[in-house]
Amino acid sequence: MAKTVLVVDDEPNMVLSLEFLMKDAGYEVRTASDGEAALAAVEESLPDLLLLDVVMPGRDGYDVCQTIRANPAWNDVRIVMITAKSRAVDKRKGRELGADAYLTKPFSTDDLMAQVATVMKGTGGAP
Amino acid sequence: MTGKWSLRLRMTLFFALIGCAIPVVMGAALWAVGQKLAEGGDVGTLLLLYGGGAVLALMALVVGVGLLFDIHVAAPIQGLVRDLETAAHANPNHRIAVEAGRHLGPLPSVANELVESLAKAKREVEAKISLATATVEDQKGQLEAILRDLHQGVVMCNLNHEVLLYNQQALEILRAGGALGLGRSLFTVMNRQPFFHALERLTNRLNDGRHKTHKQGLTAPFVCATTDGHYTLQGRMSLILDDDEVATGYVITFEDKTADLAALGRRDHLLRAALEGLRRPLANLRAAAETISAHRGIDEASHEAFRRAIFEESERLTDMLDGLDADYEEIVTGHWPMADVYSANLLNCVIRRLREEKDIKGMMTGLPRWLHGDSHTLVELLDHVVHRVREHTDVRAFDLEASADEDHMHLDVIWEGEPIPASLLETWLDEPLVEGLGGLTARDVLEHHKTQLWSQSHDGKGARIRLPLPPAQDVASITRPALPSRPEFYDFGLLAAKERAGALGETPLRDLTFVVFDTETTGLRPSEGDEIISIAGVRIVNGRILTGESFSELVHPGRRIPKGSIRFHGITDEMVADKPPIDEVLPRFRDYVSDAVLVAHNAAFDMKFLKLKEETTGVRFDNAVLDTLLLSVFVHDHTDQHSLDACAERFGITIQGRHTALGDSLVTAEVFERMIDLLEARGVRTLDQAIEASNKIVEVRAQQEQF
Repeated sequence: MAKTVLVVDDEPNMVLSLEFLMKDAGYEVRTASDGEAALAAVEESLPDLLLLDVVMPGRDGYDVCQTIRANPAWNDVRIVMITAKSRAVDKRKGRELGADAYLTKPFSTDDLMAQVATVMKGTGGAP
Repeated sequence: MTGKWSLRLRMTLFFALIGCAIPVVMGAALWAVGQKLAEGGDVGTLLLLYGGGAVLALMALVVGVGLLFDIHVAAPIQGLVRDLETAAHANPNHRIAVEAGRHLGPLPSVANELVESLAKAKREVEAKISLATATVEDQKGQLEAILRDLHQGVVMCNLNHEVLLYNQQALEILRAGGALGLGRSLFTVMNRQPFFHALERLTNRLNDGRHKTHKQGLTAPFVCATTDGHYTLQGRMSLILDDDEVATGYVITFEDKTADLAALGRRDHLLRAALEGLRRPLANLRAAAETISAHRGIDEASHEAFRRAIFEESERLTDMLDGLDADYEEIVTGHWPMADVYSANLLNCVIRRLREEKDIKGMMTGLPRWLHGDSHTLVELLDHVVHRVREHTDVRAFDLEASADEDHMHLDVIWEGEPIPASLLETWLDEPLVEGLGGLTARDVLEHHKTQLWSQSHDGKGARIRLPLPPAQDVASITRPALPSRPEFYDFGLLAAKERAGALGETPLRDLTFVVFDTETTGLRPSEGDEIISIAGVRIVNGRILTGESFSELVHPGRRIPKGSIRFHGITDEMVADKPPIDEVLPRFRDYVSDAVLVAHNAAFDMKFLKLKEETTGVRFDNAVLDTLLLSVFVHDHTDQHSLDACAERFGITIQGRHTALGDSLVTAEVFERMIDLLEARGVRTLDQAIEASNKIVEVRAQQEQF
């Protein structure tokens, strides 16, 4: 069965690229454009991977990440944070709140796919 | 009777006596000669006889009067002169003997009155002088204190630019060592041009009388470099005027702006690089993207070329942005005043504020650290956060702790309960902190410190809000250089210590209350007269180091502190001059310790000092004792490095404030906390087992000593 990924970003052009790339890598892709929608989508059906933007209107990426990690039933979701917040302390905050990897915008798509491969190790690998 | 006569009258009488005596004696002699001539005597013989007799009588009279004059007038006057000299020059309280000069009339008593008023005048002048001196001393003391506490360097010079006064800070800022000295030219350490210029401006302002209306008065700013060109100083020069409004010298106050200016320069440079540097790849990218989308019929080769251009330019843009980002993060300074701050001082401020409120309790735990930040706004931020957590969770007790991992320092607010949801925490950050900070929000404070803040679970038990901060920038100058540690002491009597554990023996180490303590002493030989000069301790309860409940006192040792020992502990005779003796301090420390288990590094050394005081103070420490040195030998048997520094380094504990009793206690406490984990891993869980493990080490060392 194909692994599922939830792409969360409020920038449609970023969603466009991420959706294409993940589909190309064999994932089943769902999208959400803010934190609230993302949590609703997780509630509805648990994805294997979350590509999560941090700066979004309403509930931000840190909040979504912390909420997911607070629920033991959702512990298997791998989370890759993708954000324009680039300071070392922002990355630490992401990791401390439960992200498995942290990518700064702009990023190379090769790096993205490498990070995804790393965090998906041990879950049966990429689909 | 004669005493009532005036000196003049008596002088007149003396001379009148002589004057009357001459005609009387001469007349009597002539009358006698006349009588004898009538009886038929020789004129010549008679004249010779009676004339000579008269002359002799007169001479006797003169001599008698002269003697009287000497006794009653000349000698008393001479005595009076001596007395006056004594009173004037040697003893203002000396008085003239009136009886001896009774024939001089009122002269002695008048002279006495004079001497009295002279003495009084002298006393008054002396009182005024001593009052003025005290005031001057007082002001001097205040001035010295101000100069010492000033963040700025202060140097006072005469118009020849010779240094008349400077403070310690000036030496430190100028890194001048011996180059800056009284009477030496200021220009041995600073470049002269900026001073000539500032002085000229001020002198002109003074000469034109403009200083009365000028908004800076007789002060002018300057920026100058040190002569070696390494440091840039920024400061102000103020003219010193005498009573006639003539300039006699100047005072300069200054700060080292080298780092700030360099950071500002770097930031300017970055901004320029960003504006100019990003334009070019962006232009290339836009041109290629627009071309490719506007010209649909483009041939495949050109299309490929444009695609490669887009790829390359976006890659270049990313690299450039990453570079800028990395550079920017390194610039720590900003418009906000940042300084190296000791976490204990900062957290204490927060705790003192919380103490004023009934339903919140703050407790400082963990080892204090040196951080870099603005302590005022950080205190406001922590205070704000604690209050919001209190409102949100109903938690009343908070631990405030500074913690550190490999390269990060944090301030943590810890409580028993759940972490705060990120969305809620974010809303707290947007609230203004307090009046007086101009609507400054918690987020602004985070931005100034280029940091973030989050809430997460704490050690699996409770929750915390963590605020990462940069470490202190100048730790080297804050902490004293490492000094050799004390030689190891072994008290083989500790072998018997197991009985002391008593009922606590079975208790797991984690559940015990410990007092980790340390002493500073005049030397290493307690039995040869060395004494305790400082004693400090910190309590560990349920695995928390209660920094806020520490004990720290200086002790008057009742002897001089040897110079050689001062470099170890930094405590001088002056510092302990008004401190209580050990008889007063030890009972207080006994109360503090209560029935806790005592822990010290090289405990035998400190216990020896306490033991020797048992008899005189009546204070006994019969608590169980653990020695982190022995435990270190037990858990780290691969090495023979067991000094406190070595232990701390092995556990990755940053050492700050070593070689003070409190500083060493805190480090020892931290070392001990980490050791408990290792002891457990080796099956040592209870106090009895820990003492047993220590005893094994002592036995081994005792055997080693026999060889």
